[in-house]
Amino acid sequence: MLISLLINDRIFEVESAAGESLLSVLRRLGFFSVKHGCETGECGACAVLLDGKTVNSCVMLAAQAVGHILQTIESIGEHPEQGWKTTQGLHPLQQAFVETGAVQCGYCTPAQILAAKELLDRNPNPTEAEVRQALAGVLCRCTGYLKPVQAVLRAAAVLRGEAVEPLEGGLHGDEGIPAPPDWFGGGDEGGAPEKDLLTPATFPGGAVQTRTRLLPRITLTPESEVWSSVGKPEKKVDAVKLVQGKPAFTADIEPRNLLYAKVLHSPVAHARIVKIDASRALQLPGVAAVLTWKDLPRVVYSTAGQSDPIPGPLDSFSLDRKVRFVGDRVAFVAAESEQIASQALELIDVEYESLPAVLDPAEAMLPGAPILHDEPEYVNFAESDPGRNLAAHIHIDIGDVEKGFAEADQIFEDVYEVPKVQQAHIEPHVVVTYWDEDDRLVIRTSTQVPFHARRMLAPVLGLPVKRIRVIKPRIGGGFGGKQEVLIEDVAAHLTIATGRPVIYEYTRAEEFFAGRSRHPMRIWMKTGVKKDGTLTANAMKVLTNTGAYGCHALTVTGNTGHKSIALYVGDGEYRKSPNIQFTADVVYTNHPPAGAFRGYGVPQGYWALDRHMEKIARALGLDPLEFRLKNALRAGELQPFSTAWSEGREPRPETIETCALEECARQGKAVIGWDQKFNNPNWRTVAGKPHLRRGIGSALVMQGTAIPYLDMGGASVKMNDDGSFNLLIGATDLGTGSDTVIGQMVAEVLGVPLEDIIVYSSDTDFTPFDKGAYASSTTYISGGAAVKAAEQVAERIRIRAAKMLNAAGAEGEPIDWREIKLANRQACAPDGRSVSLSEVALHALHQEDQEQIMGVASFVSPVAPPPFAAQFAEVTVDIETGQVIVGKLVMALDSGVIVNPLTASGQVEGGMTQALGYAVCEEMRYDERGFAREIDLTDYHIFQADEMPELHTLFVETFEPTHPFGVKAVAEIPLDGVAPAVGNAVLDACGAVVNNNPITPEKVWRSLNKESD
Amino acid sequence: MIVEYHRPTQLKDALDLLSRPDPLTIPIGGGSAFRRTAFGPRAVVDLQALGLDTFEQKGNSIELGATLTLQNLLAHLEQSPQPGLAGLVKAIRHEAAHNLRQVGSVAGCLVSAAGRSPFGTALLALDGVLTLEPGAEELHLGDLYPVRDELLRGRLITAVSFGSKARIAYEYVARSPADQPIVCAAVAVWHSGRTRLALGGFGTAPRLAFDGPDSGGVEAAARSAYSQAEDAWASKEYRAQIAGVLAGRAVQSALAH
Repeated sequence: MLISLLINDRIFEVESAAGESLLSVLRRLGFFSVKHGCETGECGACAVLLDGKTVNSCVMLAAQAVGHILQTIESIGEHPEQGWKTTQGLHPLQQAFVETGAVQCGYCTPAQILAAKELLDRNPNPTEAEVRQALAGVLCRCTGYLKPVQAVLRAAAVLRGEAVEPLEGGLHGDEGIPAPPDWFGGGDEGGAPEKDLLTPATFPGGAVQTRTRLLPRITLTPESEVWSSVGKPEKKVDAVKLVQGKPAFTADIEPRNLLYAKVLHSPVAHARIVKIDASRALQLPGVAAVLTWKDLPRVVYSTAGQSDPIPGPLDSFSLDRKVRFVGDRVAFVAAESEQIASQALELIDVEYESLPAVLDPAEAMLPGAPILHDEPEYVNFAESDPGRNLAAHIHIDIGDVEKGFAEADQIFEDVYEVPKVQQAHIEPHVVVTYWDEDDRLVIRTSTQVPFHARRMLAPVLGLPVKRIRVIKPRIGGGFGGKQEVLIEDVAAHLTIATGRPVIYEYTRAEEFFAGRSRHPMRIWMKTGVKKDGTLTANAMKVLTNTGAYGCHALTVTGNTGHKSIALYVGDGEYRKSPNIQFTADVVYTNHPPAGAFRGYGVPQGYWALDRHMEKIARALGLDPLEFRLKNALRAGELQPFSTAWSEGREPRPETIETCALEECARQGKAVIGWDQKFNNPNWRTVAGKPHLRRGIGSALVMQGTAIPYLDMGGASVKMNDDGSFNLLIGATDLGTGSDTVIGQMVAEVLGVPLEDIIVYSSDTDFTPFDKGAYASSTTYISGGAAVKAAEQVAERIRIRAAKMLNAAGAEGEPIDWREIKLANRQACAPDGRSVSLSEVALHALHQEDQEQIMGVASFVSPVAPPPFAAQFAEVTVDIETGQVIVGKLVMALDSGVIVNPLTASGQVEGGMTQALGYAVCEEMRYDERGFAREIDLTDYHIFQADEMPELHTLFVETFEPTHPFGVKAVAEIPLDGVAPAVGNAVLDACGAVVNNNPITPEKVWRSLNKESD
Repeated sequence: MIVEYHRPTQLKDALDLLSRPDPLTIPIGGGSAFRRTAFGPRAVVDLQALGLDTFEQKGNSIELGATLTLQNLLAHLEQSPQPGLAGLVKAIRHEAAHNLRQVGSVAGCLVSAAGRSPFGTALLALDGVLTLEPGAEELHLGDLYPVRDELLRGRLITAVSFGSKARIAYEYVARSPADQPIVCAAVAVWHSGRTRLALGGFGTAPRLAFDGPDSGGVEAAARSAYSQAEDAWASKEYRAQIAGVLAGRAVQSALAH
């Protein structure tokens, strides 16, 4: 049917099928700011304004919009500088989103801005609760919503004509950024009723954190110099395009003759395909190709995006004769439309020979259990044993735990479980493939690992690496889910088969039943301790369910021990010679595979470890934080696991150079009001609400920064005529802001503002190698490479500047180039003379002894300097129903030097929010046939803007000496301590012992009624 | 798959379309619930041009047009706050986030309500009455749920009404504040003392657990109604116990207004 749509004041006549969604039509018309995140309206990434109201275009038929006024972000604001043309600039909302750091991946940003615009158009002076309600229809997995809320409040003030607080300046005073007066113990009088506890106007967390403060509190390291770019809340280099909804993401292109791919997924958990016939599907008009296992070369590989050699078994095929979980691949289809492709799937005739399925990892290890991987091509890694369904086995002994247990006054043992959870990035997995004019295969994909993808796909596709180009555009969130070469081969095979461009994008349901997830684990803890609280030995035994394939099997579970149980070495003599044992079996089952998820095994470890530590402290009558600190690692000590394990490679000892854990605990305690609340019965009860109890909990955590002797990043820096620079990095910014912080470091070295650094990243043809975005490594590793490249450039600039200043006729003493400093776009001599960088550039490129001033460098580290943190939670528990409301989360973090407080605090806020879901509501469960219970964002609930607790971020800087700017990692550690802190707070509130997260109301209720969870 | 789209401007035309045996034709309000269902070839009748997006207070009754969106209903209730209906406001907010409330219609939400629907539970407690065409038949919501597909075939809900003088309270337990309820309880109390309890959080539709001259026995009725309410989200023991707790609280809250 021909419909007419009024979009952004223009009329569009368009052919549309009766059932076509408004989202589909808008994207066909080129309004790429309108994003696909789901098909059922839960995520809101597809929001547009319809007659001024925010609606989700994926749940509207295009025909329903006829006769209405549609508005997308493309009609709002424009880049403020467009040459000779005068522009209106960005809308105040867009400007505020840029300034406040509200843009992370930017995938949901256009929808958030439209939702905010609707609000401000009808209510110019909203409360924070009203802002949160307006934003609640747009899920964001990156930010934790704090900065978007601040952005809307800031824009509202601007639109009202009010002055707003400037962002820049004053960050590096001796005292750091002062905390608001109400942070240190104020506002929580014992026994007073709290306005928000379980009796909300909307939702309990919806109106609790009215603050206009934009920057986190930072205690600066004394080593920090007064830098001009590093340490500043610079605007993200990609923010301006993202707030305009520019076509920056993988799916935001539409090549001619594009085909749409779909995958037929297995309806059974374990079966052989005895017959498959695609002839009926191929006869359907519009079908270009159908591929089954018969059509593809049989190449075994691992989908885990890791360095060579992959530290895990090779156990996957693009298509196999066997299916191993509900959702496994059976066939690929390419067709002229998604609808035709979907129809074709129904026409593929498949006969399955059902095999017994095994869904429990303990049962999978029993003799006689069904074997998942009986294929002869299977390639072992280390101690994997497919004959026992064992994808990996780990056994690490540090010291002698039996001796330590014998020396203990008391032994504590318990068992904990952690669930399978989803990354739930709002942008699904999506890839576009095509042959370029040189017949090289271009793979434009939403990946965290473009270089690994190229290397790993080459044999699978039968192409040499040199004939593949992988481009990573902006990514709408990854969180480890895109550290997987998950769907690129589907589109690539179909492009090879058809010669045409192909797009393949997961639906939200596919994300759940065919994507990757966090590994579920069962964890046994055994701990020996003396009466004074000294740990004598600590043992952790893990049973991991990796699902049908062993991607990241060894390394995720290895990190469970490497970065959790390693934190506690004991005190006194035990500190010098700790007794730690870590053993793990990583087991195949007929569940969808697990994989990488932000935190990479460490959150699982801390759930068990820290809950256990809390119980021990309470049993011994010790202060839980003092008990932890007494036994925790300190600067100058050996990371105990560094002598025993290194992701399947040779371990080498690493000394902890910096650790501000104690100060983090001190500051975090102050912010959450620990001393006023802990063990305070007046505070614990709520006046007038006898069924409510308040509790407070903490956790200490440690992560890593990159993988030593392995992770490498490259960078090149090139000077342009005007004194600006192209920075090319392989590093993969997945919304974290790495392009920005690496640019800041380069700007610092070169003495220019960030705006003079043009960052281009993640294109295997044009940028240097980088291992990709994982292991909390980018700022440290890739940033280190960029700094080294910039230093080379700076040296060439200094040499040339000295030459120019010393040229014949120049006055004054000859200048040694080593004395020249670069600052404010100038090369300055000690005597005050200077030349501008643009003069240097013109001199170098055009005038004398011409050269391209550039530098290329790489960075690899012999250490993985751990960030440390103290995390705190405050909860209210309904002891009659078991309902838990988390009211406040605090994280005090030693991440080394903070390059950009906005992006860093954004990482922490978003990470805490993801971890909050892990604590209370996120889990993936399956029925007895292996079918997923959660296949949408209704059943798999992630926190929305109007139900958030208060979030507080504090940075306690240290200067990590192994990095030129003293940085350590930020990105993953926020995931580690929230769930145990919440669990400990629930214990504190009411005595409920919940060993298995998430902490659901029924588990709390059962514990309070003395039943096991 | 949708094979036809119609947007009639007259009720009669809509009813004619809906009465066709082939293709199977169904109405859509906003369309948000409709997209969740898998189905074969169908025609849809978009109701937006029928002028059914009304809100009227008639004496002791509030009458809602079938296509009134949840967000507009919320706006009406917030513009003229009635303390007795605070529980309804809470249930509407819990039903869906802002964007989906903008398109989700009152009737569409009720027709598609699963057991975990807060709004469906609240309207059941309020003894909501549906007007069905053709024939202007009035049907209590509680009579719709058990046989809704059968009752609605070829027919159209044009209005939903409920007594505005009833005091309603809504209580729930969920994993997080905005998550779907594991158990929810809506209690409506009239001046006469009549008390209705509806439970949600389980099953294919909200369930009426109690309708009596006063609130005596509400908690026991709640426990009994959910004594077998077990699924993958909660055990029957838990649901039964919590239904009683929430029912008791809801009664107290409703009576306090």
